[in-house]
Amino acid sequence: MNEHTIRLTVNGENAEVRVEPRMLLSDLIRHQLGLTGTHVGCEQGACGACTVIIDGRPQRSCLVLAVQADGTTVETVEGVECDGIENAVQTALHEQHGLQCGFCTPGIVMSLVAAHRAGVPAATAREQVLDGHLCRCTGYVNIRAAVDAAWEAAGDRRTGYRQENLGQESHRQESHGQESLGQVSLGQESHRQGGSE
Amino acid sequence: MRPRHVGQRVPRVNDHGPLHGTGLYVDDIEVPGMLHAAIVRSPVAHGILTAFESESVPGSASVFGPEHLRARVHAEVPVLWTIGDQQQLGTPLVDEHLRYVGQPIGIAVAGSRYQAEDAAEAVDLAIDYLTPVVGIDQALAPDAPLLYPDSGTNVIATFEAGDSAEHDRAVFAAADRVLRTTLRIGRVHGLAIEPRGIVAVPEPRRAPGNRNRITIYTSTQTPHGVRDSVCEVLGLRQGDVRVVAPDVGGAFGLKDHIYEDELMVVIAALELGRPVKWIEDRFESLLATTHARDEIHEVEVAFDEDGSLRGLRVDGRRNVGARLAVFGGGPLFTALGVVPGPYRWESVRCGGRLVATNTMSTGAYRGFGQTQAALIRERAVDLVAGELGIDPVDLREMNMIAADELPYRMRTPIQLDNGDYRRALRRAGELIAEAPAPPDDGLARGVGYCSYVQMGGIGPSDANEAIGLQIGGFESATVRFEPDGTVRVATGISPHGQGLETTIPQLVADELGINPGTVELVHGDTDTTPYSAYGTAASRSIALGGGAAVVASQRLADKVRAIAAEMLEANPADIELGNGRATVAGTNVDVAIADVARRAWQGFRLPDGSDPGLAESYAYEPVSATFSYATHACRVAVDTETGAVSVEEYVVVHDCGTIVNPTIVEGQIHGGVAQGLGAALMEEFFYDEDGQPLSSTLLDYHVPVSESMPDIRIEHLQIPSPHTPGGMKGMGEGGTNGSYAAVVNAVCSALPDADWSDLATPLSPSRIWQALHERA
Ligand code: FES
Ligand code: FES
Repeated sequence: MNEHTIRLTVNGENAEVRVEPRMLLSDLIRHQLGLTGTHVGCEQGACGACTVIIDGRPQRSCLVLAVQADGTTVETVEGVECDGIENAVQTALHEQHGLQCGFCTPGIVMSLVAAHRAGVPAATAREQVLDGHLCRCTGYVNIRAAVDAAWEAAGDRRTGYRQENLGQESHRQESHGQESLGQVSLGQESHRQGGSE
Repeated sequence: MRPRHVGQRVPRVNDHGPLHGTGLYVDDIEVPGMLHAAIVRSPVAHGILTAFESESVPGSASVFGPEHLRARVHAEVPVLWTIGDQQQLGTPLVDEHLRYVGQPIGIAVAGSRYQAEDAAEAVDLAIDYLTPVVGIDQALAPDAPLLYPDSGTNVIATFEAGDSAEHDRAVFAAADRVLRTTLRIGRVHGLAIEPRGIVAVPEPRRAPGNRNRITIYTSTQTPHGVRDSVCEVLGLRQGDVRVVAPDVGGAFGLKDHIYEDELMVVIAALELGRPVKWIEDRFESLLATTHARDEIHEVEVAFDEDGSLRGLRVDGRRNVGARLAVFGGGPLFTALGVVPGPYRWESVRCGGRLVATNTMSTGAYRGFGQTQAALIRERAVDLVAGELGIDPVDLREMNMIAADELPYRMRTPIQLDNGDYRRALRRAGELIAEAPAPPDDGLARGVGYCSYVQMGGIGPSDANEAIGLQIGGFESATVRFEPDGTVRVATGISPHGQGLETTIPQLVADELGINPGTVELVHGDTDTTPYSAYGTAASRSIALGGGAAVVASQRLADKVRAIAAEMLEANPADIELGNGRATVAGTNVDVAIADVARRAWQGFRLPDGSDPGLAESYAYEPVSATFSYATHACRVAVDTETGAVSVEEYVVVHDCGTIVNPTIVEGQIHGGVAQGLGAALMEEFFYDEDGQPLSSTLLDYHVPVSESMPDIRIEHLQIPSPHTPGGMKGMGEGGTNGSYAAVVNAVCSALPDADWSDLATPLSPSRIWQALHERA
């Protein structure tokens, strides 16, 4: 299959890689770049485990082709800085027992970090951002507590955030049977399903 | 003063990996020269495979079809539980009789996963179609197509539990009233967020005639169990197979054995002499990782006008799928064994049937039948309360076994150990009554309860044998001081989220008088851990694996005291261990335990009777099962226009014996409640009438999201187990067992006018709407 050369910045380092057009960004990150902290739970856009930050927005890397990430800046859980909100999220998840098996955790870290950077308030992060992730172990109770603790520690600094800054494309099902696919390509406005019908 | 670590909220020691991306899950493992596999699966629910052609597969890939695979097989994949008149004791690794969509029939191996999937796609299958049977009723119909024609029936086994028919009839005849109900327990999927996966790494080929050792990394709960099955099915020597469970991203019972597709990966690796990785995708996971439940229960309850419960009758049928899962009909057997629960009954009589259909096997899932048992009993209790107009808490309390009646033999006839069931019930009733009043928003509201006892710590081994279970019930530990005074605890249990890496060191540290930070749990590797048939499953790990570690540590502490006494010229009985030091009681005379460890490994001037070294091993054979228990109570709001349910308030009052780490226990309850709530309200795996799965993505199979889950108020009772060293009872499954019935009962109580005579879970909006608007 014909390969493409793409260039992207991953965790601050420039990478030039050759990929098949069909390769998923999640596979590029994990298996070609060796950054296995990003997890893959479904490749269906539903679980959120594969979430990374692309050009400042949280995205499901299983729904992005590697070639679509050409020219972008990607952050994965390995690259988040060890101070500020990044550290606050990680510390809070640890202290509040917000993870058990840890498989969903990297995606949740990335979504929360992006949400805080975008000025999303704690309540919105707890009630909406988290709904873009599936965790089968914790029942979410302690993850919600961790959101509050992280926002408290890092400060609810920004106000007046814009909804589109959430940027997360949640493709999860509605809990009551309504389902809808969001936009798949990069740079689209956020499209998420929230609330019950 | 000796610090006590048990009971403290010690932070988990293994969070760093997932939080920072340094965990090592099976798909993170890369081995030089590694190939990738994809599985060829049956596209039909029922048929005969007449040809498996790989001509169109590119030459760069290798494909192994049924004949090739079969040539490597020495024995069937074992079924480890034989129940009633069950004949199926194993299932073939490959079978041209295709019995469910997703049945693995071959494997393709190539340089990348993408290429392997291409190769698997290129295999041409020729299939003679047969008529499938999908549901229990259809499979039991007189002219139903048969999955196993030789047996003449789709019933895989029948069995009974509890009282004789005669006794049952007498009790029912003497009771004032009898109520009946039908409960349909939906088919669910445990849905660990990490799919299954395996990397099989054979040692490089040696001279002909030499055996090749193979290391298998796999996402499993039971590394020793996997090794047992690999060796049995492939005819390998146990010593030639090493199984490693790396970080495991959730299991919940799904990863309690090695699957046929995983065995195919091992075969491919052995045949090719190359490492081979296979990672299940979500579609495969939904199709071909064990499902759970799918049962129909006809329930009858006999009672008196004063509210006394007298008799319980259950006729249970379980859809076991196309063939028995590794623990066969165990979940239904267990359900009917614990169905009496925390109440006095004069008679309990149960019958079970295991029914084969053209669907994925149903196997172990958190609760292992005890979730269904709770629904059967707690629905019956609520029906009686409703019929007599008695408050459901009062009715429960008047029939509940009192603390001073324990130990108590249920009529099935399992013995309950100790506790105060009524206290948990009363307190849960108080807490839910204290919850903030709901807004006046026009939604229908109801409160539901579930009181249960949860069997954990299953054993002893002889009891397992007596009920047809082919594995023993003991757990082992080796506790070893290293020469530098740090401690390593090797255990056969295999944690994958339960926090045992934190809690077992807490237990050990208290026995040895050291800091838990100096104790490390060694687990998940058959080369370095003692045998465990279960690994981590069945709420056994802290009670039995922890119990083994406690006893081994106590013995080790005796040796530390003996050596310290020699060093301090004191009497061993006067030596106290604490804060990392061995001290002569009532004096300042002490020695660092690390110095004792160094001395022991030097072997210098050890006391008479002390062997060199400082390690103890212990295999703990439980004397009987343990029973944690709880009452869950919740309040739901139901929109009668749409059938949508939200769970607003949730309380749990429970006793799991000694609590090693309350934070971890609470986390287990939270996660368990979510899984029971999911099964009560939204989770259901569907097949169409042709046996084609309809729930093949996470957009079709709905699990709870954060929005679905209320916060949970938890109160702990702590009445230590009379049996286990340390007093732990085991509790990993309790949350699920309680929440399923509590939520269902709450919905039913919110909608008293709906028709619940034939109740099917999940109580999805459409089912609720039907119950409200389509009454017969
Ligand atoms: S792996 Fe991407 S959303 Fe699940
Ligand atoms: S911690 Fe296991 S899936 Fe979230």
